[in-house]
Amino acid sequence: MIELKNITKQYEINKNNTITALKDINISIKSGTLTVLKGSSGSGKSTILSLIAALSRPTSGEVIVDKKQISKLPDNFASLYRRENIGFIFQKYNLIPNLSVQDNILVPLIPNNPDIKTIEDKLHSVMKKFNIFHKKDIEVQNLSGGEQQRVAIARGMINNPKIIIADEPTANLDEKLSLEFIQILKDLKGEGRTIVVATHDPLFFDLDFINDTIELKNGKVV
Amino acid sequence: MNRYLVEYALNSLLRNKSKNIFIITIFTFLVFLITSVFFISNSIKYELNKTVDHLPQITIQKLQGGKVVNIDSDFANEVLQLTGVQDAVARVWGYYYFQNGGVNFTIMGIDNFENQYTNSLQKIVDDGSTKPFHSDMMVVGSGVEKILQDNFFDGYFNFILEDGTFKKVKVGGVFKSELELQSNDMILLSKDLAYEVLALSEDKATDIVVKVANPNELQTIVQKIQLLDPNTRVVTNEDYKVSYQNIFDYKSGFFLALFITTLFSFFIIIYDKVSGLSSVEKKEIGVLKALGWRVDDVLKEKFYESFILSGLSYILGVFLALFFVYILDAPLLRDIFEGYSVLKTSFNLPFVLDIQTLTLVFFITVPIYVASTIIPSWRASIKDADEVIR
Repeated sequence: MIELKNITKQYEINKNNTITALKDINISIKSGTLTVLKGSSGSGKSTILSLIAALSRPTSGEVIVDKKQISKLPDNFASLYRRENIGFIFQKYNLIPNLSVQDNILVPLIPNNPDIKTIEDKLHSVMKKFNIFHKKDIEVQNLSGGEQQRVAIARGMINNPKIIIADEPTANLDEKLSLEFIQILKDLKGEGRTIVVATHDPLFFDLDFINDTIELKNGKVV
Repeated sequence: MNRYLVEYALNSLLRNKSKNIFIITIFTFLVFLITSVFFISNSIKYELNKTVDHLPQITIQKLQGGKVVNIDSDFANEVLQLTGVQDAVARVWGYYYFQNGGVNFTIMGIDNFENQYTNSLQKIVDDGSTKPFHSDMMVVGSGVEKILQDNFFDGYFNFILEDGTFKKVKVGGVFKSELELQSNDMILLSKDLAYEVLALSEDKATDIVVKVANPNELQTIVQKIQLLDPNTRVVTNEDYKVSYQNIFDYKSGFFLALFITTLFSFFIIIYDKVSGLSSVEKKEIGVLKALGWRVDDVLKEKFYESFILSGLSYILGVFLALFFVYILDAPLLRDIFEGYSVLKTSFNLPFVLDIQTLTLVFFITVPIYVASTIIPSWRASIKDADEVIR
């Protein structure tokens, strides 16, 4: 269960100017559901995702995940929380250039310094699952957009997270690849994971397996 | 150690290949320059100190009108009578300018039957491989032999005497003393021949060297000699040491200037690094944090990255300096330090590996570079990750 209670988030542009990205938001997302956050650019979708992932702290209010308040976690604990609970899928994939597919997928595991057997098992499993095993030694900048998206998903899944956060995941994909991605999300939801997607792609709006759609406008729930 | 973190750091270095090759090149050159300067100065200091240790305890020169002139050879016998004096030898020596080679040779007259004033000279005289000092024979330092060969004098040399005539002298042997600076430009002749080449009257000597039985009595003997003849200048080996040190310190100023310039260039690189990360680097840190890396994981990775780069540059720089100084004999740089005159013949720098020097160069380069990489990375990694990604 993810709960955002009375959340306000302001960004400081400079000493005299602040922008209010979210204003007194209350959201509740049940475990094992797929929630879509929709709204135009600047409506506050990405801010909600970064608060759930503990990438930033709210100016006021609380973010509670599985009954634990994560909005006031010290930085190192926030990193550990992300490592253990969150799978991140970025809009522009944010893969590390010049690294191979498997080296990119490995990145979230590096701080744990796992043994080679664990690494091989996990890598093999996610690369097979997202159909990129045959590309494992290719550097990511030589892959197509769809393949890069699958690498980014595999990287997000390598630590077997309970929560998947996707920020505009189909923004750089054509319709065919977007539908493929949606199918992957459906499968991941079928595994019981909680998925939160921020998007303004109409393909998402009429899907039968979406549990909740939250529309945002100017930092408020519409 | 986290092997995957080290691998990631290596890949990160390879990702910015051209930028890092440039930094390694500059860094290596700076370490090379600083280390070369230290190596040369250490070697020459070592050589000078050893030379001073081999100098006679007391040297007596005759002064006339404030100038050094030749001294009466008989004065050596008067000095020998002083209590505490173990030996006094009238030396015949001087310089011979060899125009074709553009160098000065040091001419030294040797009497086979006299005690030599240094152990190295005594060894050369006693050495069976060098032929006795006849009137037409000479024994030369290895540097002199090379210059003669380069100028087509094969086993002999024609001295031009005072009256303009030639004096042909054969090379009877070549010596290589452990002290390169002292011996390399030296030609040893019989005393008779030295008198002839240096156009010196036979009752005169260049100076007189004195050996004292008890070194603690050195100053007393100096006073006694000055009382014996007030028109003499009595120089001890300690005086020479001070004089050599002054020359060395003066030359060190050039190196200091070079050293400061080099360090200045290094700190420009450091300033550039400390002043901030590129947007790509900041974004990468943000992505890593979003994927669950902690601040200390990021800093460890940056530490490995900068340590590999600076450590590699340090090792390369030191090995290049060793090669440059001790294999190539430090062309160009050495000229700043070598001798007190450009007319000196060439010599090899003795190998002196000073761990303190290497440690000093290490500490003024590697940790500073590492810190200059880690500090901006730390600044970027303590920010909210979403701010970095946006």
